[in-house]
Amino acid sequence: MSTLASEYSNEVTHDVIEHRFNPYSDNGGTILGIAGEDFAVLAGDTRHTTGYSINSRYEPKVFNIGDDLLLTANGFQADGTALIKNFKNQLIQYHFNNDNKKMSIESSARLIQHLLYGKRFFPYYVHTILAGLDSEGKGSIYSFDPVGSYEREQCRAGGAAASLIMPFLDNQVNFKNQLDPETGNKKQLKYLKLEEVVELVRDAFSSATERHIHVGDGLEILIVTKEGVRTEYYPLKRD
Amino acid sequence: MFLTRSEYDRGVSTFSPEGRLFQVEYSLEAIKLGSTAIGICTSEGVILGVEKRVTSSLLESDSIEKIMEIDKHIGCAMSGLTADARSMIDHARVTSVQHDLYYHEEIGVETLTQSVCDLALRFGEGASGEKRLMSRPFGVALLIAGYDKDKGPQLYHAEPSGTFYKYDAKAIGSGSEGAQAELQNEYHKSLTLQDAELLALKVLKQVMEEKLDSSNAQLASVTKENGFRVYDDDEIAKVIATLKEQEKDEEGVDTEE
Amino acid sequence: MVGLSFDNYQRNQFLTQNGHNAPKATSTGTTIVGCKFKDGVVIAADTRATSGPIVADKNCEKLHRLAPKIWCAGAGTAADTEMVTQLISSNLELHSLSLNRQPRVISALQMLKQHLFKYQGHIGAYLIVAGVDSVGSHLFSIHAHGSTDIGYYQSLGSGSLAAMAVLERDWKQDMTREEAIKLCSNAIEAGIWNDLGSGSNVDICVMECGKDAQLYRNYLTPNIRETKAKSYKFKRGTTDVLKTSIYNLCEVNEDVTMVD
Repeated sequence: MSTLASEYSNEVTHDVIEHRFNPYSDNGGTILGIAGEDFAVLAGDTRHTTGYSINSRYEPKVFNIGDDLLLTANGFQADGTALIKNFKNQLIQYHFNNDNKKMSIESSARLIQHLLYGKRFFPYYVHTILAGLDSEGKGSIYSFDPVGSYEREQCRAGGAAASLIMPFLDNQVNFKNQLDPETGNKKQLKYLKLEEVVELVRDAFSSATERHIHVGDGLEILIVTKEGVRTEYYPLKRD
Repeated sequence: MFLTRSEYDRGVSTFSPEGRLFQVEYSLEAIKLGSTAIGICTSEGVILGVEKRVTSSLLESDSIEKIMEIDKHIGCAMSGLTADARSMIDHARVTSVQHDLYYHEEIGVETLTQSVCDLALRFGEGASGEKRLMSRPFGVALLIAGYDKDKGPQLYHAEPSGTFYKYDAKAIGSGSEGAQAELQNEYHKSLTLQDAELLALKVLKQVMEEKLDSSNAQLASVTKENGFRVYDDDEIAKVIATLKEQEKDEEGVDTEE
Repeated sequence: MVGLSFDNYQRNQFLTQNGHNAPKATSTGTTIVGCKFKDGVVIAADTRATSGPIVADKNCEKLHRLAPKIWCAGAGTAADTEMVTQLISSNLELHSLSLNRQPRVISALQMLKQHLFKYQGHIGAYLIVAGVDSVGSHLFSIHAHGSTDIGYYQSLGSGSLAAMAVLERDWKQDMTREEAIKLCSNAIEAGIWNDLGSGSNVDICVMECGKDAQLYRNYLTPNIRETKAKSYKFKRGTTDVLKTSIYNLCEVNEDVTMVD
């Protein structure tokens, strides 16, 4: 903070010059997970940025990490990659120690909490979302803050355009602020079909692309069902 | 002047020219001096049974604890230098609780057994620089009984040598030879939990020097429904009574013939 | 009231010290270019306005008219480019009225730079000024602190590097009108695709000697949004009515007079 010559002689100025190394940066992008009755989707755009520059138009950030689990960590990409690499290593260790047992999504969520909290005072600068099927085969989404607080949810948006997408999701997935015109009561919650969910995700991302400069280029949607994991790609606007 | 073993049984980490680790072998001998412990695994759950040596009429038999809980779904019976089992069980309990903390699920019985066996080898330095924790191998063996979702009821035998095996039925301790032979004869896959209770006490009775009663024997079970549970005196007395009835019936059949 | 008011300066300084930071003016990350050709000059701009990472306007106008044949493209703080442009436009018209001559581009340039220099960079206007006058065609750029540049081709804004790359690669002396338009629109497109502060459409203004200036608003629209996958029409009655109150804003009296 510095002030140049001013007509006001009595003004108070502080010249604070800090020389500190900042290890974090923001690589933009946004992510979105929605759980259905017997499926879960986890989507992310493929744009990678710093400041006003596009570093890559196709840098996937949603990963099939094995055991029918999808994981993404959006924010500072280096931390996101480190977290996911760490998790994969832990998963391998778990398989060694537990007779190749498939790790449940509940266990994965708890493990991720410990990985994140392990860096409580030098956090991974990421918003993390985990998707999969629970022990009953129902779609399941877990979302984490940078230091490991987590919760199971029906849907969650993260990253740059989270604040643009989340209210849309509240309205379209959990029917917030919607009445049933017939009865005048709150609109009944119901599971959405996979096709509907994919449409919602595409619209959420094309809309976020319109209004957020760090979102765009491509949309990659990973879908997990009892048959396994499937990937879909849709181009987004590149401006 | 020297016997074959004499010079090679001092250091715990020195092989003899024949490739033996005497201190480990001696530790196995220590178990053979211990009281008998039996484990029987059925499809309904696992039964653990131990003999308690009440060496004096002034000794409170309740204070002899040879079956202990590791977690809600795992328990163990011991034979040998029971004091050594404390650190093993401490380690097992920590491992189990830690697994629940990190994975929000019950630890697998085999995984737990493996971790106990890892500790059993810590009388030497670890391969990746781990400190040597103990001056000698453990002098105790464990029968680890548990239930987990993936593999159901299981019984493991963990030795001071750091090896473990899964058993349908296993006896350890001073009466183990006779007891194991008897288990071999009597065990079959369709054993019920109640059959296993009776079999455990029956075998114990055969190998014990004293007369079996509710104060010198202990029973425990691990089931899906109730997890690990130690039987109280009344329950043991009841099983002993049923056992007596059964024996009487068998004798009766004999006399008729 | 003429000029800028500094009435709240000390109050705002005080508020800032107490943790109430001043709202940030929308700074338009932008790509603007200008290029001279054989008998005229072209300027072009993208149409994205941003505030922080949010796109505030997808199709704003960054090409401003200073005089009928003098136009300028603005980057920087949106309000500053608009206001400074309007102010100088007014003064330029008064100037041409009193002189009874068409205004000259260098006059606009001089007035702008003197104004901006006076405000020591606090007016965040970065401009490319171009036009045709009695002397010929001209192309200049001005920075917020008041410095100016002359050149055959110029680019400014956050996308200026992307645009300049294209200008440096493709510019040549004595281009035709069409070549110059193509070059400028290519340069803006480079900004649209490669600079996050720029986007949407290309606006172009061509000023040729002896002709009226031609503004091509949305000359290119390479970023038309695809149709949405779902329809978001809500059935009537979906939105809750929280409160109803009806006000009679005027009273209507109907007097009926019977006529035989």
